[in-house]
Amino acid sequence: MKKVGTPEYDLSDKLKYHVSALSTAAKEMALPLNITTHYPRERKRQPDCFRGYMLFDPERCISCFQCSFVCPANAIWMKDAPSGRYYPTVDYGKCIFCHFCIDSCPGGALRTTKIHDVAYKTMDEMFTSTEEMIEPPEIIREDVGVVDYVIDKEDLSLKRTKEKDELIVDVEPSQGVPMVSVCVDRGSCLACKVCDMICESGAVSSVVDEAAMTVKMAIDAEKCTGCGLCVKECSMQILRLVRK
Amino acid sequence: MKMAAETETGKGEVEWEVKIPEKKLKDRLFFENLKAMVIDTQMCSRCLTCVSICPSELIVNEEDIVDFPNYEDKCLDCGACVRVCPRYDYKPKSGLGDYIEFTAGQSKRFKGQDGAMGTEFIFSAIDMGLIDRGLFVDRDEQWRTSVFHVRGKEQLEKLPLGGTKYVFADILPELKKAVMFSKVGVGVVGTPCMVSGVRKLQEEYPVFREKVKLVIGLFCTENFHYNEVSKYLIEKGVDFSKLIKTDIMKGKFVATMTDKEVKFKVSQLTSILPSGCNVCTDFTAVESDVSVGSVGSVAGF
Repeated sequence: MKKVGTPEYDLSDKLKYHVSALSTAAKEMALPLNITTHYPRERKRQPDCFRGYMLFDPERCISCFQCSFVCPANAIWMKDAPSGRYYPTVDYGKCIFCHFCIDSCPGGALRTTKIHDVAYKTMDEMFTSTEEMIEPPEIIREDVGVVDYVIDKEDLSLKRTKEKDELIVDVEPSQGVPMVSVCVDRGSCLACKVCDMICESGAVSSVVDEAAMTVKMAIDAEKCTGCGLCVKECSMQILRLVRK
Repeated sequence: MKMAAETETGKGEVEWEVKIPEKKLKDRLFFENLKAMVIDTQMCSRCLTCVSICPSELIVNEEDIVDFPNYEDKCLDCGACVRVCPRYDYKPKSGLGDYIEFTAGQSKRFKGQDGAMGTEFIFSAIDMGLIDRGLFVDRDEQWRTSVFHVRGKEQLEKLPLGGTKYVFADILPELKKAVMFSKVGVGVVGTPCMVSGVRKLQEEYPVFREKVKLVIGLFCTENFHYNEVSKYLIEKGVDFSKLIKTDIMKGKFVATMTDKEVKFKVSQLTSILPSGCNVCTDFTAVESDVSVGSVGSVAGF
């Protein structure tokens, strides 16, 4: 059996390590190296694409449910709005800040902020309604400085600046992977025209030809935003999203 | 996914055409056509094929009558219900049809008569890997029917309660769900009108042609609707909580309970016989893959 014990050092080794430890202690006494951010008096400067608290723009939302559909933590619920549309609400008690919702939003209605201190006193408060997501939240800020980490060769040091970091940033909405809806089993199409009715961008068209007794269905790949609404609504489940 | 590949390379519009059926009553909605030609003429067997295919999912079987509340506003006028209704262009079928052989058989695993054979066929097909889902009719203590999905051998132990129910079940709406979930194929047991409905679905839509691999028809004299038959049987003194099985033997309806039996002539049931059954001449489910029934077989099978 393998035994784990103290390594065996001879006298020269012991001496070497003692000198090294004492010199480090002396160096720290003269020039202390401290890399801890003093939150909340300071904030670390985050990149613009930081995955934090989410903001929502109802003008851009097409109620496609993609965000709630893709959410791995089931944190997003769609709630009906007075306008007859469905808008997302986020339960920060469940949210894991993966931002798949933002990446998958075809209209760019969701965007990120640099607010990372999403903390509340009760569980009920963690449920964020649509209205609360439209305007940036009120946060109590005690910070007076921003901390930047500077990596110099192999050493890490702090750079403190007296300024307030802007937490709400203007980031271009993510384009995601461009997808387009296609019909994979045209023979099974009912011609119920639900896809045409549900499509927000007018990419799906259906023309009834009474004389020929046919319905001409068409999907315009140029107009299709890849929101997947028609894919979810198709009662025969014959529509699929594929890469553009 | 051949078509998906096509669209990936060839950008621009993707078009396809869907044929719509002829309207017998011009300038009316398709459901109105169906209502006028099938439901109001009392031809409807309530096989619920239309319920299963309707994209708005608003055709319902309420109080044992197929109906579409508010169809003037809600009907999408796609014609799917007319396309699949076995009674819209009704050509009565009868006799035995084309068959390979007929034989008497008994299941080693399941006790019972024809229903057990249906169960045996479905389970054998699952064992062979032909299908991955089978649909059975289950019942509750009040003999209300519900549909039960079987996906593998492990469900053998908790099988639904057997016995002929003589009551319609909503098999076809469940069949559509099963077809959507299934990766290999679906097996289904049904009455002749349901079998015709399945064949009609397969004729019209490739997805059903591909996925529905085994259709077992049951010999059918007549079938009743729960509300009507339960009222009638309670009047006759049948206590549903004690009921063990129901059967039709030698022209008599027999309801066996734990303490007694109630018997009466089948002809008395004509008052509650669904009107759609009057026009039907298909006893053996001609269009099915396998028809099972215990009429004319030797005692013991």
